[in-house]
Amino acid sequence: MVEDLVKSMVDMNEQEALRITMEMLEGGKDPLKVLELCKDAMAAVGEKFEKREYFLSELVFAAEVLKKIMELTLPKLEKEEVRRVGTIVLGTVQGDVHDIGKNIFKVLAEASGFELIDLGIDVPCERFVEAVRTRNPDIVGMSGLVTASVGSMKKTIDALKDAGLRHGVKVIIGGGRADESVKQYSGADAWADDAAKGVRLCKELIGIKE
Amino acid sequence: MTIKTASELSKERLERIERVIELKEPDRVPLAGVMGDMVPAYSGITQHEYCYDYEKSREATVKFLQDFPCDMSFAGITGVGELPLSIAFSDYPDISPSISFVSGPLHDVLGDKYARFPGRELAEDSSPQFIGGEWMQPGEYEDLIEDPVRFVAETVLPRVCRNLEKPGSRQTMATMARLGMELSKLAAFGQALAADLAELGYPPAVMAFAYSPLDFIGDFLRDVTNVLLDLRRYPDKVKQACEALVEPILKVALALKPAGAKLAFIPLHLNEYLSPDLYNEFYWPHLKRIIAELGNEGMKSFVFFEGYHDAHLETILELPAGWGIAYFEKTDVRKAKKILKGHTCVMGGIPMGLLISGTPEKIDEYVKNLLEEVKPGGGFILASGTAIAPRETSVENIRALIDAVEKYGRY
Repeated sequence: MVEDLVKSMVDMNEQEALRITMEMLEGGKDPLKVLELCKDAMAAVGEKFEKREYFLSELVFAAEVLKKIMELTLPKLEKEEVRRVGTIVLGTVQGDVHDIGKNIFKVLAEASGFELIDLGIDVPCERFVEAVRTRNPDIVGMSGLVTASVGSMKKTIDALKDAGLRHGVKVIIGGGRADESVKQYSGADAWADDAAKGVRLCKELIGIKE
Repeated sequence: MTIKTASELSKERLERIERVIELKEPDRVPLAGVMGDMVPAYSGITQHEYCYDYEKSREATVKFLQDFPCDMSFAGITGVGELPLSIAFSDYPDISPSISFVSGPLHDVLGDKYARFPGRELAEDSSPQFIGGEWMQPGEYEDLIEDPVRFVAETVLPRVCRNLEKPGSRQTMATMARLGMELSKLAAFGQALAADLAELGYPPAVMAFAYSPLDFIGDFLRDVTNVLLDLRRYPDKVKQACEALVEPILKVALALKPAGAKLAFIPLHLNEYLSPDLYNEFYWPHLKRIIAELGNEGMKSFVFFEGYHDAHLETILELPAGWGIAYFEKTDVRKAKKILKGHTCVMGGIPMGLLISGTPEKIDEYVKNLLEEVKPGGGFILASGTAIAPRETSVENIRALIDAVEKYGRY
């Protein structure tokens, strides 16, 4: 049964994955075990994505199934039971209102054990600075689709520098506009234009080995 | 060097583009210009003014295209594509093609929730943006399949547009009258701009607008994430809905045929999202049919392949050779050119990141190396992968790009 949950998730079998989850939870299985299996399944989906066996269509579907499983599982957990590997402050930068990429990344990063603080869309520099100051994250993730987001990414990183907070966090940029040249221009530490790579790089940034 | 007259220049540019579409070598590689935030910034006006003040917008566009010459340009169309409006009017070819693009004033008239505009939902200097949304429930696929035009006009638009909320109401009547008034202002702006651009030596660019049916569902009806889930949850319904949308989409595009439109622009969205299996089952058959039918009517297609199209590149070969232009955003054009050589005119090649953060020297070198590989044999248009240049884009870099094409693009 345990392997079946991973398999059904990786195979995009929504009904089967939900059925097994319910059976496990109702049969008294540790909800932490369910989360662990989800983590394995999402890691496998992410791996297939990076190998170009899977595409966004599969990543988005797996994320949706995971969301449903979480809705069933999380109420059965004590909050402190969930072990976090790190904290990410996340947002779509100022002047940009797109969030599909950001939301996929969020689900995958949570499945990998990160705590996500999502500031939403069109986030001004000051809100990023404030969130870094008060929440002390390991990583700041900035997302952007419109080309104007490139300027906002740079401004946000400059604002973190001005506030004396830049050296305490790693910064990753993501979304349609991210590439090596934009990374250098903005002063970020890493870039990814897909969510699976983004999560892998986040782990690397804070020194987690697989 | 002799100074060319505007009409000579226009003829030269038109020939350049026509020859590459025919997969021949022109006199020089054509360059497609950038547009977007950089245009108002260059004239010192805000994005709000650029989207809402037709006079200022026209001046800014003319100034930009005068100072940064190119062979084809999108500049001047400021706004957001909203095809459902055209679909709703698809039985009326005198109206349908004029409302595919929503300008700032049209956005105010309609009160649509598809888009966000500067000085309205966004800061004065933000770019106008399309965000879509979920305006149809899965249970409504039947209605869409049965009569897509009626469903879009009578069910979807009242949900999307605050000022069309109650069909038949006085508010909706007033909105329609205002829409008509605003459209004639927009048409006058278009004509005046076209006259200005003709004086600068730009050929007339009447372009139709078409869409892939699955993108229509994702962008305008169900939202992108939902449509990806629907593909697995209600595959038959999605497929039937795509079928049903082909005809009205074609009708809107072909309404511009009498006005002399020879190209139909088709921006793709979900192509990058889909695995080859899903692409070949739900996306490509309908898009292919649209491109083929437009071709039968003498209209070539100008397809923007958003993101990475690598996984589906070979499918383009299923189209008849010389079908139109394949404009790639992130797909490596070197690879695309190799696969599509002698079959498809390839466009793209410059990453926007390079134009923003590069130096004139880097751009010169980049263009030199790229053209060495993709220039031979013709059939190539040099362009930035995304035409929207942010306001930080340096003027020197755009000049360097123009100079580099002149230097390395000659045949």
